[in-house]
Amino acid sequence: MPVQDEGVFFEELYRSQGPRMKSVAYNILGNVTDAEDAVQEAFLRAYRGLRSFKGTARASTWVYRILVNACHDIGRQRRRRRDETELGPEERLPITTALPAGDAPLRVTLQKAVAALRPRQRDVFLLFEVEGFLHREIAEILDIAEGTSKALLFEAKRELQSALADAPGRPR
Amino acid sequence: MSYSDEEISRAARELHREWDSPELWPRIQAALAAEAAGAERRRALRVRAWLSVAAAAAVLVLGVSVLLRGRAPHAGVPAAEAERRLLTDQALREVERTESDYVRSIDALSRVAEPKVEEAGSPLMMSYREKLLLLDSAIAECRAGIERNRFNARLRRELLSLYQEKQHTLQQVMKEDEDAL
Repeated sequence: MPVQDEGVFFEELYRSQGPRMKSVAYNILGNVTDAEDAVQEAFLRAYRGLRSFKGTARASTWVYRILVNACHDIGRQRRRRRDETELGPEERLPITTALPAGDAPLRVTLQKAVAALRPRQRDVFLLFEVEGFLHREIAEILDIAEGTSKALLFEAKRELQSALADAPGRPR
Repeated sequence: MSYSDEEISRAARELHREWDSPELWPRIQAALAAEAAGAERRRALRVRAWLSVAAAAAVLVLGVSVLLRGRAPHAGVPAAEAERRLLTDQALREVERTESDYVRSIDALSRVAEPKVEEAGSPLMMSYREKLLLLDSAIAECRAGIERNRFNARLRRELLSLYQEKQHTLQQVMKEDEDAL
């Protein structure tokens, strides 16, 4: 692919997938700065690995796989660097900003419970329930079987139900 | 009471976040451009490295070819030797053919002349017999030497001379015998 075409390809990819990529990264990493770093890193890795993209997967699926891996790498680096210190409030999006009206306390509790899931369960839950990917697409993104994706989602929901039942302020 | 799957799914959909980040795409573009420039620099370095290797290889090939050309006369020795050997073999075959002709001629003469030499009692014939015995002894000695070295030209010449002499002697014996009748 010529350099000029590569530029157009990535710009188009950013325009079509950028918002959802940021959201995925934010929900995995928990803050805006790391999420944007992860998106940038994903584009760089995609550029470097463009020759390995055979076109058998959709470009969007391919770039989400790269993004999820970049998020995991950045998450590990940040955890090591910050030694699990709490993030500053400026890095977190206000939970109510631009969100439709709904059960805000549940969203806050759910966000914390999702963050406590095992990484694979969390990835499947976020991609399926939050971002609306199909199990077939999630299987491609995470390089797992479709059945595994369904099983991980089931386990994630059971974990979340259990965590939310124990949370203060749960419905009686 | 706990939350149902449906409630969790509905709450989960609200976790999707969107925010403006006008600096992000320019940042990504700049990073991609820097990566492309770096890749181009690395490619140029690789090309330069390959060119250096190719130039060094060309110099090496040139040097080796000059060296081989310098040694060409020596390298040609086996060919010249082979040609010389071929000529020598041809000459030797001719000599051996001549020798065979002499041997056949001498054998034919001997079959007729030798009984006469053995039977004759004249001093002349006795001296011819002595001479023929000496010649046979010398011929046997020469042939033994030639068997050890087929290319010994001196022995070949000597053998040829001995054959000529024997042939001549046998012819003389025949002539003396005819004269005596």
